[in-house]
Parts: sequence; structure tokens; C-alpha cells
Amino acid sequence: MKTAKRFRANCSGQLLIVAALAIAILIASTSIYVYELTTEKQGVESSSLVELALAVKAGVRNAVISALANITNGGSKTILTENLDALADAYMRLHPQQPCHIRYTLLNGSGYMGGVKITWSEGLGVSSAYILYTLKILGPASSMTINDAVNITTALMVEGYYTIGENETIKTVNLTCKLFNEEKPAHAKNLTIYYMDDSGAWARVNSPSITDWGNGTYSLRFTIVLVSDVVHVSVRMVDARKILVVANVTCIQTG
Amino acid sequence: MKGRNSGQIRIIEAFLAIFIVFSAVAVSANLTTKSASSTSNGLEAIGMQALLQLDFDGSLAAYIAAGNWSGLRETLNLLLPAGVVFNLTVYDSQMRQVNMETVSNGAFNSQEIALVKYVCTSQSPVFRVYVVYLYLAVAK
Repeated sequence: MKTAKRFRANCSGQLLIVAALAIAILIASTSIYVYELTTEKQGVESSSLVELALAVKAGVRNAVISALANITNGGSKTILTENLDALADAYMRLHPQQPCHIRYTLLNGSGYMGGVKITWSEGLGVSSAYILYTLKILGPASSMTINDAVNITTALMVEGYYTIGENETIKTVNLTCKLFNEEKPAHAKNLTIYYMDDSGAWARVNSPSITDWGNGTYSLRFTIVLVSDVVHVSVRMVDARKILVVANVTCIQTG
Repeated sequence: MKGRNSGQIRIIEAFLAIFIVFSAVAVSANLTTKSASSTSNGLEAIGMQALLQLDFDGSLAAYIAAGNWSGLRETLNLLLPAGVVFNLTVYDSQMRQVNMETVSNGAFNSQEIALVKYVCTSQSPVFRVYVVYLYLAVAK
């Protein structure tokens, strides 16, 4: 009995050490666990914010393409702001717990008016829209602000000449057209050619010979009856995004 | 003094033991929640990336505008990893359901279902805004 008491008394110090160790382990493991959880949560949230930002960018891009296709086919320029407002409104309603504000500015200057530039001229036609936007996403733990721009440009370059046979009024016109989307070669969905006839009116060229080189370059060839020494040609191309671009060229005789 | 304190030490030990047992239970319960939520987050990311890929060239809106639900189902089947079950519902900007046909590749038999909400816009001259709800689960 006496020995047992002595044993308990001797062991109380060791017990304290064990208890202290246990407490230290508990505190350390809890701290590590909490830290890991925080890190993981932050990582998940920031990746979902990035995905949301990418989705907004895709939406803005589509809205601008749609507006430019509409405007180049005769629509009003206000369609660009209408599309962007509709997109911003949809995002505001979809994520009420994670407000997503889209503010945009339409570029004015450098040939752009209200975010749109349409210059269909000699040798080169450009249909373009340019907007700057700020995206603000307010997350529960973190928020993000992104300043970005969307530029959609369809450009058409045309060069040409004509040759004559025995009859000088019969002219064979050869054109080389290059179509670009954001400075990269693009495919045309539709192509129409007009020439100015002797009365000064634009006449459509029926069934021209078209060679698609597959890299955004098209060789066009057609024959017309025209007295004039110069041939004024207008090429209208619609790209895969339904954006219309027009370029004119004045062809002279070669060879 | 030491003999008198030994009872108190026993009580402290008992409290410590209870604390350790309870904290173990609490931590293990949290671990289960953590793994479940990370599965759900993974599915959300996969779903979002598939929709982003489809939307980037305007294909998603083109499928919806054309009512090509079988084409959309096949495309999502290709984009999503094998073993992921999905169900897609499309709403217009007024939140009226657009697809009258089910766009799904199977029934959900998992309790872990992830939801991806996506705003899809068209590139066509007539602008359209669609809201896509994509439900995802791991097939069992």
C-alpha cells in the first residue's frame, strides 16, 4: 500500500509531462489543420473567380461579335451597348451572392466612333469594334477587379488587274483577296463581287471563278464586257462570324 | 501534498481524455466534409471548363439556337471525362426553360451533385442571352 502510494507520487511528474505533450500535439495539429483548410479554400475560390472572369470575357467577346455582325449588315450602332447591357444584367441576376459588375467604355478615337470603326475603302476594308471593360467580382472571402479590352476586327485586302483578248471590250479581271480576323487569316462564308458598268451603276458578277487557297487567300477571276479603260470592282465578304467587310479596287490593264 | 493532488490529476487526465476523444471525432467529421466538398469543386471546375471551351467559338449558343440537343449532348459527352454524369437545362434571359428535351447522359445515383451556372451569349446578329444550368455527378 505504501509502495503504491509512493509510485503514484513519483509518477505525477511524468503524467504532467505526458499531458503537456498531448496538449502541445493537439494545438500543433489543430493549427496545421486550420492552415491547410484556409489555404485550400482560398485556392478553390480564386480558381472559381478566374473561371468566372474567363466566362465573362467569352460573353463580352460574343456580344461584340454579334453587334458588329448586326451593324455591318445595316443595324444601328446602339446595338453594341444594348448587347453589353443585356450581358451585364444577366450576370447581376445570376450571381446575387457573388455580385459581378461589368462596366464598359466604347473606344472613341483612332478611327473608332462609339466603339465601332467601319472603313471600307480602296484596297482595304476594315470592320472593327473595340471596347474596354472593367470586371469587378465580389466574392465572400476575396474579390477581384480585372481591366481588359475586346477588339474584334475583320479586314479584307484586295488587289487586282485585268487583261484583254482580241476584243478590247471583253475584259478578264483577276483579283487576289486576303481576309483576316484579328490579323490572322480567316475563312469567308460568303463572297460577292460587283463592278461598275459603263452607266456608272454597280452590277453583280455572276458565277466568278473562285480559288480558295485555304489560308484566307482567295483568287477570283471573271470576264465582263466594258468599254472603260479602268474597272472599278467592289468585293463584299462575310466571314464565319457573319461580319461583313467591303473593299474596293480599281483595276488597270496589264500584259 | 503530492498524495492529496493525485485525485485532481486523475480528474485532469479524464478531462484530457474526453477532450482528445471529442476532438478526434470532430476532426474526422470535418475531414469527410472536406473531401466531399473538394470532389464537388473539382466537378464544378470540369463543368465550367467544358462550357467555356464550347462557348469560346460560339458553338454553345449555336447548338441552343438550333435546338440541336442531341449534338450538344454528344459534344458534352466528349468534353467531360468518362464517368461523369451530367444534366443540362437551358433558360432564356427571362428564366423560361428553352430545352423541352432532356440533355443528359444518365441518371444521377450519387449524393454529390455539383451545379455550374453559366451565362451563354450568341455571336449571331440577333443577340441572345441564355442561362445554362449544368448538373454534374460522378457515376457509381
